[in-house]
Amino acid sequence: MHMADALLSPVIGGAFWTVSAGLIGISARKITDESDASKTVLMGVLGAFVFAAQMINFTIPGTGSSGHIGGGLLLTVLLGPWRALLTIASVLVIQALFFADGGVLALGCNIFNLAVFPAFVAWPFIYRPLAGDGRSPARLAAGSIAAATAGLMAGAMSVVLQTSLSGVSDLPFVTFLLFMLPIHAVIGIAEGVLTWGVLSLLARTEPALLSGAEGSPRKTRRFAKALFMTALAVSGLLSWFASSNPDGLEWSIAKITGKKGLPTASGPVHTLLADLQRRLAPLPDYGFRDRPSPGLPEEAGTTFSGIAGSILALALAGSAGLLLRRRQAREERT
Amino acid sequence: MAGDRLRTVANAQRRLPVGDAPAMLILAMFVLFVLSIPKYDLPGVIAFASLPLMLATAGHIAAGPVLKRIALISPFILFMAAGNLVLDRQPAFTIAGITVTGGMVSAAVIVSKTMITLSALLSLISGMPFHRFGTALRSLGVPGVFVTQLLLVYRYSSLLADEAGMMQKARDLRSFGGKGKGPVVTARLIGSLLLRTTAKAERIFMAMEARGFRDGLTTASPQALTLKDLSLLAGMFFTFLLMRHFF
Repeated sequence: MHMADALLSPVIGGAFWTVSAGLIGISARKITDESDASKTVLMGVLGAFVFAAQMINFTIPGTGSSGHIGGGLLLTVLLGPWRALLTIASVLVIQALFFADGGVLALGCNIFNLAVFPAFVAWPFIYRPLAGDGRSPARLAAGSIAAATAGLMAGAMSVVLQTSLSGVSDLPFVTFLLFMLPIHAVIGIAEGVLTWGVLSLLARTEPALLSGAEGSPRKTRRFAKALFMTALAVSGLLSWFASSNPDGLEWSIAKITGKKGLPTASGPVHTLLADLQRRLAPLPDYGFRDRPSPGLPEEAGTTFSGIAGSILALALAGSAGLLLRRRQAREERT
Repeated sequence: MAGDRLRTVANAQRRLPVGDAPAMLILAMFVLFVLSIPKYDLPGVIAFASLPLMLATAGHIAAGPVLKRIALISPFILFMAAGNLVLDRQPAFTIAGITVTGGMVSAAVIVSKTMITLSALLSLISGMPFHRFGTALRSLGVPGVFVTQLLLVYRYSSLLADEAGMMQKARDLRSFGGKGKGPVVTARLIGSLLLRTTAKAERIFMAMEARGFRDGLTTASPQALTLKDLSLLAGMFFTFLLMRHFF
């Protein structure tokens, strides 16, 4: 299930772009630190393998329709989360560019939905505890099917959330969710069965391949996840309690002029800029510009503004830090 | 590879009127502006079709493959557009006695945005060979390991796709009444393809290492954006801004 540009608002697309690009940057740094060139080639060829494997269709029993493997969980088991993220992201970039799957802005959402969930949610929290080292066939089956299903359903939920928050579609949030989840549960089970089949074949013939994901730096991952979740929770939840009273500047001006709100300027330049601001401001007054999905509460706009704001602030702060570091390095060299 | 069909030889050899990295930034800016158009503003979206049209005509880009790709709009987009069509039946305006609903307009906006952004993307990509795309990404600060990954996936996709195609054909020829096409047999086929792939990866790595491969495939050095590129980007930004104001 690929998210598409036309269903996204620039803010939602931009926020997920920032998160996905950040994760790609962290993954790339970790892989570069490991400096294992043989695994770099394996990643490239396994990315190509996913394309090829998606050509082999299977018949979905009892439906008459057909499907193919997604490969997210399989790649994570073989490569570990960081390398799998880059591999799946590379497949998604090529799909977006040459197969017109999704689009440029939707790429961030697609990487988040199809790569981050299998690599950083399904694999560490479901597959590893259930499947263990993959030696027990029953545990391998349970781990593969549960993790693939959960990963796909989380991705589908994320698609619903991204679409509803963008305010482009009129489908009510709950209706859309109830439509998407059962379909993706079935697709997830099929994906899990395929993944289990491939992994059990590997366990019998090339068990060494199943240990490729071992040795990932869990502490750093846990720290990054905790930091990210805290930022989201704080900005998202606290924004519900944002005061509707005027801010300090508005209060001071009201006291001086005796009027509510700031004085408005007039003139052609002001009118032009105000019109541009009205048209381009993605979240005017910390809410959605367009009517959001009917199922979403009004506070969702405030919550999202908080989350988007904090992600953008993090991105800006990170970029400023990088620029300063580069400048310092240049100055030290000269 | 699908990209090769999309990219004709003539297109691939033709240089874009701007550098590859600024062209990609302009595309990203363009997509952001198109998506910022409100859901009922059809004229605003149509006005932005001018950029892909200009790119296609100025760049002598073969329209056929681009149009074919756009025609295969994802069923998900069509489903979402149909949702608007059904759910929003409030009359928006009347043309020649026919009442046009809000859902019709917003559905048309979704489909138009898809067509316009995809045609801009495909027009750009059809004039840019993949190695140049990799160099442009490096110029924009994308990590080398990710660019190498993209180049490797692109290079080996067609090779493995041929192998997968042969395996699929062999299975289909031996299948009667749909037998052997279920998930269990397919998993074995994919597993077998995976074993061949990992063996191939080992051979490829040894061959590449013998030729001096260490950890990256990017040979051309990334170039920073020049003052000319930055002024072009600023010019395009203000052009898009004015288009948003006037339409």
